[in-house]
Amino acid sequence: MKKRKMFIRMITASLMRRRSRMIVALLSIAIGATILSGLVSIYYDVPRQMGAEFRNYGANVILTAGEGDFTLAAARQGQAKIPEDKLVGAAPYRYENVRINDIPVVAAGTDPEGAEKTSPYWRVEGEWFSGSGELLVGASVAEAFRLKEGDVIEVSYTPMAEDETTSDGEEEFIPDTYKTFTVMGVLQTGGSEENYIYMTLDDLTELTGAEGTLDVAELSVSASAGELDDLIAGINAGVKGVHASPVKRVTASEATVLNKLQALVLLVTIVVLALTMICVATTMTAVVAERRKEIGLRKAIGASDKSIIQEFMGESMLLGLLGGLLGSVLGFVFARQVSISVFSSSISYRPMLLPVTVLASIAVTGISSLMPIRSATDVDPALVLKGE
Amino acid sequence: MFLRMIRGTLFRQWKKMLMIAFTIALGASLASAMLSVMLDVGDKVNQELKTYGANITVVPKENSVLSELYEVEDGSVQGAYLNEEELGKIKTIFWAFNIVDFAPFVNVTASLDDGTEVQCVGSWFDHHMDLPTGETLDTGIASMRSWWELKEGSWLDEQLLADTADAAMIGKDLAEKLGLSAGDKIHLTGSASDRELRIAGVYDAGGTEDMQIFLQLDTAQALADLDGCVDKIEVSALTTPENELSERAAKDPSSLTVAQMETWTCTAYASSICYEIQQVITGSVAAPVRQVADSEGAILGKTQLLMILITILSLIGAALGICNLVTASVMERSQEIGLMKAIGAQNLSVALLVLCEIFLTAIVGGIAGFFAGFGFAQLIGHTVFGAAVELKPMVVPIVAVLVVLVTLIGSIPAIRMLLGLRPTEVLHGR
Repeated sequence: MKKRKMFIRMITASLMRRRSRMIVALLSIAIGATILSGLVSIYYDVPRQMGAEFRNYGANVILTAGEGDFTLAAARQGQAKIPEDKLVGAAPYRYENVRINDIPVVAAGTDPEGAEKTSPYWRVEGEWFSGSGELLVGASVAEAFRLKEGDVIEVSYTPMAEDETTSDGEEEFIPDTYKTFTVMGVLQTGGSEENYIYMTLDDLTELTGAEGTLDVAELSVSASAGELDDLIAGINAGVKGVHASPVKRVTASEATVLNKLQALVLLVTIVVLALTMICVATTMTAVVAERRKEIGLRKAIGASDKSIIQEFMGESMLLGLLGGLLGSVLGFVFARQVSISVFSSSISYRPMLLPVTVLASIAVTGISSLMPIRSATDVDPALVLKGE
Repeated sequence: MFLRMIRGTLFRQWKKMLMIAFTIALGASLASAMLSVMLDVGDKVNQELKTYGANITVVPKENSVLSELYEVEDGSVQGAYLNEEELGKIKTIFWAFNIVDFAPFVNVTASLDDGTEVQCVGSWFDHHMDLPTGETLDTGIASMRSWWELKEGSWLDEQLLADTADAAMIGKDLAEKLGLSAGDKIHLTGSASDRELRIAGVYDAGGTEDMQIFLQLDTAQALADLDGCVDKIEVSALTTPENELSERAAKDPSSLTVAQMETWTCTAYASSICYEIQQVITGSVAAPVRQVADSEGAILGKTQLLMILITILSLIGAALGICNLVTASVMERSQEIGLMKAIGAQNLSVALLVLCEIFLTAIVGGIAGFFAGFGFAQLIGHTVFGAAVELKPMVVPIVAVLVVLVTLIGSIPAIRMLLGLRPTEVLHGR
């Protein structure tokens, strides 16, 4: 019991007395540990964070008609199969031919909020449409009809002649329906969306006079390739009337690019870590090597090699422990700071990282001080004390 | 005498000096590796993002609006076309090196023997071009539709004789509907001529293309008598993320001042590349595909920022590591320096001596570290992107300044301590 007390006293006393040197060593270990815990946190968080960025490409799952009618309820049912925290946005689409000034145009009815989330790349000059009587006009349509933000136009719909009425032989006249809209904004995408006009589903229902069926529903899901396949299989198995399929162009490309990015961060982490660890090791070696004289003195007054090694190792491991603790806190702060400034979202704390960082820094300091201690204890104390 | 003393230290205490040089080399290699990777990561990730396909589409000016609108009604409006002859010119614009791939498309409707109408698309698969500049180029949808999954058969290879004109690739949904598989023959009748085609492969594109047949450009043109006509060109280009200037320029280039115009035309914005393409292809409108162009910008920006922050962390780490070791190794020599002072050395000359020694070591370590770091960067480049990381000239001065500054700062506390030493105390061993 007494022996242990003495041991602890010797270690702490030596740390306290050589304060400035020890702070230098502690600092270097803490930096190493900071880099370790910071980079590993970033490495684990990159796929999640980057995955969210990749949702800029828009929907990665589409729902189309399965068996029977593809109604809004069916689409919502399919959408409900995806956990809320993974679903970035969902937008149902129903396309109908309508007319502006008697010229046919394709109108899409959708959920404005959902569309804004599934298609973040849509560039709108003016305002986003949100309520009844508001219209988003594709750039090509706007150019053809000379429309601009704030214009008020009338959109008409010619109901399809139903089979039953024509089979009677008599021509039943169904009048066109009209509705007035305000152009809220002009949509630019560089794709076929520029040829459509967008309104809310309710408006389209009102205009066409019938609920109708959806053509497609877009889902933007933040999930890895494997999870996405499972979710799609879940929808296909669980919801009748809906067929889910991945948008290959988006999912396949995302997997490729995301893998590369993660590999990049992994390699960078490994290289930085390796170099930092060597740096810590050289510092520790230097710190121990300059105490050769002390070792010589101890040996001269009768200390055994074993007890010297024990004491020095205890000292450096204590440093490793302190540095590791300090570093894992700093590393987490750093990783969170990076995450906030790059992805503007906080990072999840990984409890496993604390023991790993502490153990790693103890191991590195221990191993790097073991070698110089060994070589110091090999020397004849008389020679060391004499200063040769 | 001064030189002799320095040489003496370097040679007699070579073990200690080697250790300092080693640490500095480590720090310098870390700095140069991270800087090289950081500066090149934009280009590399940009290349990777090309898997999302074209970010610029070129369509004929007159056609674009009305034919698509009227198509709803009668479906057979003859729009305007682009000229196939002019395609090579895309590779002659100012931004030729930024154009990674491009492919023309022509849509024709053809009918099968049983009267079923099918959508056919004529395009290049891996078209070989001899450019007016004397260069050659292989481009086409083989690289621009990298997300297509081959279900059966193989990609249509334009270089192979067997595949030349009479082959086609068919979408999986259409193949399923018609009961076709790779190797089967189909007979297509277009508005002008008919062809018997062999199905080279069945693809899964996960979109509307699954209901189409892809043919070679000239085959499709012959079917509808559209020789030399192209509906649309897709261009995949390396671009710089858009900003306020480029958006303004895209709307109306004439609204810019001369200086802004210069910046705009000399930066690879999607809009300035579009502008250049419009100049060389007669009667065309080139527009960035927002889905690809915008997302590319966002992802590139995030990746670069992430790498910059990691680089800063590792630079700080490297700097503190070097500082530490330099301080430690100078303090260790307090006895030697005490002796020098005892026999009458001036503070200035002692400081100069120590600094000189450390700087000589730092230069050796820094140079070695720079090359080692560049090696690490290559390792990362080859493993992750399968391509070498380019050496940016600005890395050299940054690393040099960093090493000098860090060594200097690292020696300041040590030298201050040395100057404060009282020779008698040191020599006495206190």
